[in-house]
Amino acid sequence: MIRLEDVTKVYEGGTVAVRDVSLDIPKGEFVFLVGPSGSGKSTLIRLMLREEAVTRGTIYVAGKDITALPAWKVPYLRRSIGTVFQDFKLLPNKTVFENVAFALEVLGRPRSVIGPQVEQVLELVGLADKAERYPRQLSGGEQQRVSIARAFVNRPPIMLCDEPTGNLDPATSVGIMKLLDRINRTGTTIVMATHDHAIVDAMQRRVVQLSNGVVIRDEVAGRYETVGEQ
Amino acid sequence: MLREALVNLRRNILVVTGAVLAVFISLGLAFSALAVNELVRINTIAWQQGVHLIVWLNDAGRDGVPADAHENLLNEVLTWEEVANAYYVDKTAAYEEFLDLFGDNPEMVEALQNPSALPTSIRIELADIELYQQVEFRLQQYPQLIQRISSAAQEIEQISAVSRVLNLLGIGLSIVLGVSAMILIANTIRLAIYARRDEVSIMKLVGASNWFIRVPFLLEGLIEGLVGAALAVFAVWVAGRNLAGAAEGIQLVNLQVPNAFFLRWGVVFLLFGAAAGVLGSLLGLSRYLREADGGGRPAGVRRALEPV
Repeated sequence: MIRLEDVTKVYEGGTVAVRDVSLDIPKGEFVFLVGPSGSGKSTLIRLMLREEAVTRGTIYVAGKDITALPAWKVPYLRRSIGTVFQDFKLLPNKTVFENVAFALEVLGRPRSVIGPQVEQVLELVGLADKAERYPRQLSGGEQQRVSIARAFVNRPPIMLCDEPTGNLDPATSVGIMKLLDRINRTGTTIVMATHDHAIVDAMQRRVVQLSNGVVIRDEVAGRYETVGEQ
Repeated sequence: MLREALVNLRRNILVVTGAVLAVFISLGLAFSALAVNELVRINTIAWQQGVHLIVWLNDAGRDGVPADAHENLLNEVLTWEEVANAYYVDKTAAYEEFLDLFGDNPEMVEALQNPSALPTSIRIELADIELYQQVEFRLQQYPQLIQRISSAAQEIEQISAVSRVLNLLGIGLSIVLGVSAMILIANTIRLAIYARRDEVSIMKLVGASNWFIRVPFLLEGLIEGLVGAALAVFAVWVAGRNLAGAAEGIQLVNLQVPNAFFLRWGVVFLLFGAAAGVLGSLLGLSRYLREADGGGRPAGVRRALEPV
């Protein structure tokens, strides 16, 4: 589903964020990107979204080389990728329903389709009864559920999550992870950058560890840290 | 789309008001400059027309001036190609003119004891104001017939020269103000985009096409430009009407800007306002949208890679 070949990203000023990273993520997989701050996790996610251009190397999403994608086609790439961030990125002046519907509106979907689809996804994330609330009236966990609903409402084959539990307490984080797990079970490929040891250890999924922009470990059903490392 | 643009206009009322005011002020000033320019033009034309030379004559039938000398001179003058028109003002007409000018001043009327003391004259309208010296020279061939020649031609020529300079200044000022209006709109739209950058970045995140993001901003710029321009045209029109009303009775200068001028240039200014709004929005948007697409790999970055 996603393939990175010798991907390097150097920011202006010469900072090397990612160096010669190669990864192959099959359809339906759940992958954790772990590593300390500045190790290149977020950069990898931004590269897969084409928010940044690679300096060298190639990234394939669903078989397509997205590094060669002309700018006007980038929106089409993003329609096949749902994104969830640490800071939720909700519009404060729109209700829960409107925030989720927004993702379908910008794709030009008719209202008759938007209504039922949004209701369905709000049901999935457990916020059907809070559709008319505004983000400020929700807890952090609930806001993150709205952002997951928005990312998933279009049923994208891929979801990229950048520290989705970074702002949440452990109990709330577990709820969010259960939700992402459910989504993953529908066949959606999930790549999640995280700092959260407990979550990674509990989920027992593939772990890709980065250090200074280089992949130092890629382990199936791994833990946050390998045994003995501290 | 339009609904979204209107909602955004309402939400960002302060920024929008700033943009509309910026357009209003700059286009209003530009339009006023143009209207003043038009007035100068109209008045210069008016001054250039009319009587340019007055030839005061010695009385006929006295001091060796033949009885038909006046008529002969008028006929002669009418054959000159520099002269567009000429007519004779006899003593009766001269007295009527005197009463017209000084009728409300009894001292003056009293001082003129003998109305027949007023000289007769030939009034000459020139084909071209610049020819006045040639005509004066030709008239000097009749020294015993002519008492004196009065001419406002030199002054009119000076006024014409000044008005040409004013014309150029007015046009220059209009252009400068028009361009500044466009830059102000571009800046305001950029500010509006900045104020809504979160919304725009989320739109991009969920895969909105660039045109989907652009159109509401373009509509917004269009509306701001149109409203600002309409206000400017309306304000200058109202000011023009008031000026013309206040100046009623003044005969020396014409302060009435013709409605045809307002109609013609009003449409031009509305179109300019709309175009400036759209162009300003495009300018404000282009950089923002390009940055968010992760396009391009700067050469400097590739060079930095070499030692790797």
